[in-house]
Amino acid sequence: MTRSKAFALTSAVTVLLLGLALPGIFAQEPPPVVDTPPPGTDPSVTLELNRGQRPPMKLAIPPFRGTQALSGGAAAAAREMEQTVRQDLENSGYFDILGADRLGPVTWSGDIKRDVEQFRAAGAETLLLGDVRAEADKLVFEGRLFDIASGAPILAKRYRGSFNVTRRVGHTFADEVIRYLVGKPGISLSSLAFTSDRTGFKEIWAMDYDGQNQRRITGHRSTSMSPAWSPSGDALAYTSFFNGPPGIYLADIDTNRKTPIVTSGSMNTTPTFSPEGNRVVFARSVDGNVEIFTSDRSGGGLRRLTHSNAIDTNPAWSPKGSEIAFTSSRAGNPHIYLMDSEGANQRRLTFDGDYNDGAAWSPEGDLIAYTSRRAGRFQIAVANAVTLATRVLTSGPGENESPTFSPDGRKIAFVSRRSGTKQIYIMDLDGSNLRQVTREGNNDMPDWSRIPSQP
Amino acid sequence: MNRKWMIWLVVPVLLTVLYGCPKKKPATPPADLPIETQPVTPPPPPQQDVPETPAPVVEDAVEDPLMSADMQVVNDELRRRGFSPDVYFNLDDSALSDESREKLARNAELLRAQPQFQLTIEGHADERGTNEYNLALGERRANAVRDYLSSLGVDGGRLRTLSYGEERPVCTESEESCWSQNRRGHLVITGRANVG
Repeated sequence: MTRSKAFALTSAVTVLLLGLALPGIFAQEPPPVVDTPPPGTDPSVTLELNRGQRPPMKLAIPPFRGTQALSGGAAAAAREMEQTVRQDLENSGYFDILGADRLGPVTWSGDIKRDVEQFRAAGAETLLLGDVRAEADKLVFEGRLFDIASGAPILAKRYRGSFNVTRRVGHTFADEVIRYLVGKPGISLSSLAFTSDRTGFKEIWAMDYDGQNQRRITGHRSTSMSPAWSPSGDALAYTSFFNGPPGIYLADIDTNRKTPIVTSGSMNTTPTFSPEGNRVVFARSVDGNVEIFTSDRSGGGLRRLTHSNAIDTNPAWSPKGSEIAFTSSRAGNPHIYLMDSEGANQRRLTFDGDYNDGAAWSPEGDLIAYTSRRAGRFQIAVANAVTLATRVLTSGPGENESPTFSPDGRKIAFVSRRSGTKQIYIMDLDGSNLRQVTREGNNDMPDWSRIPSQP
Repeated sequence: MNRKWMIWLVVPVLLTVLYGCPKKKPATPPADLPIETQPVTPPPPPQQDVPETPAPVVEDAVEDPLMSADMQVVNDELRRRGFSPDVYFNLDDSALSDESREKLARNAELLRAQPQFQLTIEGHADERGTNEYNLALGERRANAVRDYLSSLGVDGGRLRTLSYGEERPVCTESEESCWSQNRRGHLVITGRANVG
C-alpha cells in the first residue's frame, strides 16, 4: 500500500476521540542520554547505549471483546487486527504485556472502576480494552486505555474500515497508544525498502516494518540495488544497471513511475536524500575515480564534494542536514569519514576494524551505524559521531552488514547470512530482541523509512 | 596433465594437414571446401606465459572471423590469437600485477592491430565486503586496465569501463579458489567504431 493512499485511507477511517488524554499522569520520558567519554575523542572507548530507557510499563491487554460474535471475513479481520496491535506494542519494547495467559479469566461488570481491580491484582499499570463489531462489510474497532490506579480513561478511539485495512488500523492505534503512554512517535506505520532476488533478478522491494506486506517496487529484470527512502516516503532513489552502466533512478511510490536522476558517465551509485528531500548525495565516477557528488532530485545542480585519489563512496546525509558521512579508502582500507554538506572539513570517523563501510545515521544524528570487519568477519558497529566511541553489536559468523536505524532510533535492521542466505533481521540497539523479517530468496540493503508525517 | 593438453596441439595439426584449417563456426562457403588463406594457429594452452606472435590479418573478408557481425565470434577469434579476456587482482586491491601487465601488453598489440573494435572493460569483485564498496572497487579495477591499455597506445575513445562489483560472479562458491576468479577485469569486444 502506498503511503499517500494510506493517508487517504487513514483519514477515511472514522476516528473519534471519545476521551481526552490526561496530561501529567504519565510523565514524558527524559531525553535520551548517551554516556560518553570526556571531551576529546577516544575510539578505544566502548560506546554506552543507555538511551534513557526505563523499566517497561505493565500493560494488560485482555482478549478483544466481540470477536466471538463475528464470523467469516469479519472474524478473520478482527483477529488480524488484535494480533497487529499486540505485536506492535510488543515489538516497541516499551511494555511488559499481560495477555490472556497471565491474566486468567476476565469478567466484565460494566463498571470499569470495579473491572480494573482484576488487572490491578495482576500487577498491571494500564489496561488496553479492545471492542470489535461488524457493520455491513466494515469492521468497527474501539480501543480504550485506562489508568488502573485511578480507573480513569486515558484514550479512546473508534475506527471503521474494510476488512483489508485492519492491519493498518491496528498499526495506527498501536502508535496512538505509544504516543499517549510514552510520549514518542511509534514506528508501526514505517516501512523498509530492500533488495530481493526472489524473482530471479535483484529488484527493489518494500515491506511493512514487521515484515508483512512485501511488495515489489521495480521490475527492471536487471540488477537494482541501494534503495533510499525520501524523507516523506513518497519516493525511493536507487541504483540500477537496467540501462547498461549503473545509474541512479527515482521510483515514485504512488504512480510507480521510474525517472532517471543521474545516469551520465560510467558509474553513479549509492544515493541518499538530504533531510529536506530536495537533494541527493551519491558516488560518481569521474576522471577515473569514484567521488562524492550531490544533485537536486532531478539530477540538476551537480556538485562535487570530494577530490581524493582514493575511492570515496556510499555517502549518507545526516538528519540535521549539516554533515555527510561517507566511505573512503584514502587511508588504505575503507573507513567512514565525515564532512560538511558542502564538502569542507573532511575527517576520519572510524579507526577500529580494517574495513568499515555503509554509514547509517541515527534519527537524532548522534550515532552512526556501519559495517565493520573485525578479525576477518563482518559485524554491525555503532560509533558516536562526536566522541568516536564505538561498540560492536553483533558477533560470530554470518557476515552481518548494511545497518539502518528505525525512525525512533531504538532498533537497527541489518542483513546477515547466518541462515545460509542473506536475510534481513531487526534488533534492539543493544543487540537484543533479534527478529528475522524476510525469508524468501536473498534480501539485502535495507533502508528504514522515516516516520510518516501525520495526515 | 601435461600430456593431455598436448593432444590439443597434435590433433589440430593433424586435422589441418588432412583437411585444412578447422573452422570453429559454420561459414558461408561449403564446409568441405579446403581453406588455405588462414594460417594454422593452435589454441593457446591455458596460462601460457609467452604469447605467440600475432597472426597476420587475413585479407579475405568472407573468411575472416574478425569480420563477423557476431561479437562472440570476434571475441573467440581474438582469444585464439592470444587475447586475454581476464586479468586478476588481489583482495581489496586494484593494482595490476606483472602477469596482468604482460597479458595487457599482448592485448594492446592486438587492439592496435584491430583499431575497428571497441572494448568494454568490466570490473568485478569477490563477494567479501559490501556490495556498495565493491562497485567502487570494480570501477577502479576497470579503470586500471583502461589506463594501462591507453598508456600502451590504445585509443582511449575505444575503451569503455563498466563496474559490476560483486553482482556478476563467474564462480559462486564461498572459497578463495572461487573468489580469486571473481576479482577480475574482464575485457570484451562489444562493437565496432563508426569510422570505416
